[in-house]
Amino acid sequence: MKNLFYKHESFFYTLFTIITLIVVWQIASMTTSMTKVFPAPQAVVEKLYEMSTGTFAKYSLFEHIAISLERVLIAFLAAVVLGIPLGLFMGWSDKVDAFVKPIFEIVRPIPPIAWIPLAILWFGVGETPKIALCFLASFIPAVVNSYTGIKYVNPLLLDVALTLGAKPRSVFLEVAVPSALPAIFAGLQNGISVGWMTVVAAEMFGATSGVGFIILKGQDLSNPTIIVSGMIVIGLLGALISIIIRLLERVICPWKREI
Amino acid sequence: MTSSKIKERGVMNKSPRIILFLISLFSFLLFLSIWEYLVDSGTMSSRILASPREVVATAIIKLTDTAPDGATLPQHIQSSMILAVTGYVVAAGFGAILGLLMGWFKRVDRIVQPLFEIFRPIPPISWIPLSILWFGIGLQAKAFIIFYAAFVPSVINSYAGIKMTDPTLINVGKTCGASNFKIFFRIGIPYALPMVFTGLRLSLNSAWMTLVGAELLAATSGLGYMIQMGRSYGRPDIIIVGMLVIGLLGALMSFVLTKAEHHYNRGRKA
Repeated sequence: MKNLFYKHESFFYTLFTIITLIVVWQIASMTTSMTKVFPAPQAVVEKLYEMSTGTFAKYSLFEHIAISLERVLIAFLAAVVLGIPLGLFMGWSDKVDAFVKPIFEIVRPIPPIAWIPLAILWFGVGETPKIALCFLASFIPAVVNSYTGIKYVNPLLLDVALTLGAKPRSVFLEVAVPSALPAIFAGLQNGISVGWMTVVAAEMFGATSGVGFIILKGQDLSNPTIIVSGMIVIGLLGALISIIIRLLERVICPWKREI
Repeated sequence: MTSSKIKERGVMNKSPRIILFLISLFSFLLFLSIWEYLVDSGTMSSRILASPREVVATAIIKLTDTAPDGATLPQHIQSSMILAVTGYVVAAGFGAILGLLMGWFKRVDRIVQPLFEIFRPIPPISWIPLSILWFGIGLQAKAFIIFYAAFVPSVINSYAGIKMTDPTLINVGKTCGASNFKIFFRIGIPYALPMVFTGLRLSLNSAWMTLVGAELLAATSGLGYMIQMGRSYGRPDIIIVGMLVIGLLGALMSFVLTKAEHHYNRGRKA
């Protein structure tokens, strides 16, 4: 038991803090009048249960989650398929770089959220604007990291490959791209978390479903319990997504240790 | 330093600078003319897209004109910037200090660190509804959200930075008889600075993005409010001016931060 404790020391501390937090939170909400502005944990659990067994604004909690995840995943896949090659080509050829840079550099500093009004003007309030915003949010880090990844490939590796008679094409595909993979994955990690954040934001404008919609609906109803329940779901899913990407990274590029 | 290395590489295409500049110029002009053509030819209705010429004209008019959203562009900029900069400086400053202390003093660490693990995955944007419920639409709600947005990344990165302090250096300090505080200030903090700056940069992005989000949802002034009003009035020119200004200011603030980083991190690789 003692051994087990030391092995997972930080895990136990985390568990301890979470439990303490919930206990303090519950006690505070029973003894003070804070529940008017912040719900008790019990109320949140009940609300979550109620939303997952029943419906909240036409959908159950799981359907809201599925809808949000679907938006993020479609956008993310599109961003991966288009963003990584673009970034790689920009990093590899200075002509492609020179061509894309001026436009990319104008778009890059604009936060994806600032596109919301224009996206609504263009695509209305259906699925398209949400996916488009989310795409943009994941696309930029995918491009930037593939670009820097391939720019900073150790020149020694390239020279070795060239000396051994490799053609530029296979230097690119077999040396440069694999050694840029860790950086690319960092970009994907970043991209999906910005994408998740953006889908939440996009769902707060004129949506009728999704996790972002839940918290905005909670605001309309002046119901902090709904808001906090929604926030917890958003946080848990965000954490889950980044864990999955990290696992994926370990499978796809096991040679990466630390960046 | 790295750019010179890249140029030495055999595989990379090395084009003369002038050619690259011409390609960039061509691409930019091509972009503008396609954009202009789309609007002028009516392919994109002027109700949903404004041409580059209109955008420039609107930007100039908006410098002094308050229509249709009740304030001039400089007033909106001022409103957003004051809030972003003060909120950011306070939050990122506190955050960096807390992060450094957390990483150095183990007892603080064990209590506070798991709390951050809980709050980290919740995007700052999703705090907007709750803070509007608490503080109403106004300065307080925005200040709260920006504080949160800037605070968390700053803490996490400073924390990670000081945790990575080379133990050899700490031992040298100890051997030479320095106190824990002295080691913290003279070895720990300088060692953590690159990561601290990474945190500051992430905080800045996060704060600026979140401010825009907050202004879209609940505000009566600011750039986010301006573009939201542009949408209500069906004025794509105002939206695009607003977006460009938001992007430009964001880039400008990052630039200032990068300059500061170079100043404090001379001779060090990040």
